[in-house]
Amino acid sequence: MSAIGRILLVEDDPRDTELTMTALEEYHLTNEVVVARDGEEALDYLYCRGKFQTRTCDNPAVLLLDLKLPKIDGLEVLQQIKSDKNLKIIPVVVLTSSREESDMVASYKLGVNAYVVKPVDFHEFVNAIKELGVFWAIINEPPPGSIKRK
Amino acid sequence: MPQGKLSLSKVKRAIQRYGLAFLSVAIAFAAAQLLAACGFRGVEFPLFLIAIAVTVWYAGTWPAIVAIVLSGLAFDYYFTEPIHSLYITRAEVPYYVMFILFSSLLTWFSSVRRRVERELLQSRDALQKEVLVRTHQASLLNLTHDTIIVRDMSEVITYWNRGAEELYGWTAEQAVGKQAQQLLGTVFPAPIDEIKAELLRTGRWEGELQKTKADGTRVIVASRWSLQRNEQGQPIAVLDINNDITQRKRGELEIRQLNQELGKRTTELETINKELEAFAYSISHDLRAPLRHMVGYTELLQKNASSILDDKGRRYTLMILESAKRMGTLIDDLLAFSRIGRAETRETMVSLGQLVREVQSEVAQETGGRNITWRIGKLPDLYGDRSMLKVALVNLVSNAVKFTRTRPQPEIEIGCTDKPDDGLVVFVKDNGVGFDMKYVHKLFGVFQRLHRAEEFEGTGIGLATVQRIIRRHGGQVWAEGLVGSGATFYLSLPKP
Repeated sequence: MSAIGRILLVEDDPRDTELTMTALEEYHLTNEVVVARDGEEALDYLYCRGKFQTRTCDNPAVLLLDLKLPKIDGLEVLQQIKSDKNLKIIPVVVLTSSREESDMVASYKLGVNAYVVKPVDFHEFVNAIKELGVFWAIINEPPPGSIKRK
Repeated sequence: MPQGKLSLSKVKRAIQRYGLAFLSVAIAFAAAQLLAACGFRGVEFPLFLIAIAVTVWYAGTWPAIVAIVLSGLAFDYYFTEPIHSLYITRAEVPYYVMFILFSSLLTWFSSVRRRVERELLQSRDALQKEVLVRTHQASLLNLTHDTIIVRDMSEVITYWNRGAEELYGWTAEQAVGKQAQQLLGTVFPAPIDEIKAELLRTGRWEGELQKTKADGTRVIVASRWSLQRNEQGQPIAVLDINNDITQRKRGELEIRQLNQELGKRTTELETINKELEAFAYSISHDLRAPLRHMVGYTELLQKNASSILDDKGRRYTLMILESAKRMGTLIDDLLAFSRIGRAETRETMVSLGQLVREVQSEVAQETGGRNITWRIGKLPDLYGDRSMLKVALVNLVSNAVKFTRTRPQPEIEIGCTDKPDDGLVVFVKDNGVGFDMKYVHKLFGVFQRLHRAEEFEGTGIGLATVQRIIRRHGGQVWAEGLVGSGATFYLSLPKP
């Protein structure tokens, strides 16, 4: 796994990961994406521990977070990030299948920067991912201490 | 003129009384004269005394004094020397003094005797009246439905009213003289010594007691005791009033049991509701993911491999996409439907006219430039959950738009009729394809459709959602239709 990456995608479903990557490919952003397959791995990456011990410990420019994850779920990851003084500046976008109001409210209460429901329609999905990638990885100026663009 | 009448009878009575004085003295005088003529002397004195006695007895003190004076004068004038003169010799003075003293004494004794007799009569009358009142009161106690028992301090029954007879089944004759607690098999809620101590301390006690009737059945009574004390302050009797509360207690017990059951059911329902919520969440999240993958990969296939697919293959991929999208819509509609059942309503004043305008502009995108004639009547404000009511209206209006698609001159009318019994009735009427009233009962069921999918698209959840929303607002939905002539949907909502 590449140690560099400006987008941290936390997604347990390899198919969703593949489709997301396909969407990002168009803007040549795939090299910038690091995938964590559960909440624990995401936190390991952010805290530079476990198998990410050796990486240069900069924050990603954006974190795309699924809510339903094995081990530690998305809301817990979000809570952890937003209560850590070094991590809480990372923009977090929840990217989920859940349209449930309770999830949305909980995410915003924890300080999420955006909440995106994955559309069933593939075109819409691709557009959403593209826009997210373009906005957060290219347009948006990330907070200081984030990994620099290659 | 009662006053005049009263004084008249008083005068009459005075004339009678004083007349008696004159008459009796006159008779005594006449008798004395007669006896004197016959040669009897010395009887005039007792004769006048008799006249005075009769007067004082029947006419009272003052006429008696008149009689004494008259007798004295007559005696002096006619019977003592010198006759026919009022002159009194010195030797006769003691004789007259004796006469006056004796007759005064007679008058005094007689009047005292009369007074005593009068007082005795008065107190007898008062006593009789008292007895009458008491008897009346006692019979009133018998009239009451309450059970009234009086018992002395050794628990022996001394009074037993008709209420007691009716409740417990023993007559007063059977009950009076019996030991109360033994007769009634009383079961006390606390040790009897404590109850008695409270009665002696406060003069009262009340509580619920179990007792046994003459026929052996148990009754629960609300019992109120009051202690009676004599003039020295010693307790002498207990007044015990009972009300039969067996039915009430049984009712209370039933209510308690029902409440317990209800509580259990509520907990069960809450659990089921939570499970349903988890289920809906799972559908929302897990069911949509594979669908998204199906659509995603099929589109990738379409994009990257369309050159190696023939017409059939391309059609198949199109079918897969359409079906997956349809399933996506179904899941979304179903979730929206279940959310309406679960979500709490947030009620505010809603302007129905404003809401209909919003719905119209939202639905306008679906009309695709068709020339629809809209007729919007005067719409009221009502109290309800705005977002839910909007969902209901969107469903009804987009249905109207959908089912008038085949009409050359589509017309949609939205209005409100005011019925006193039904509250507000809002209707959405169209001149679309309509429906057969034979199937009206299926119209509002989940997944029920009256048209084939290729005629009119839809998931069959819209009207079920409308019904659920209106029912949550305490209203009703119904519809009228005719094949080929349009349909009208009615919503009744409570007035604000």
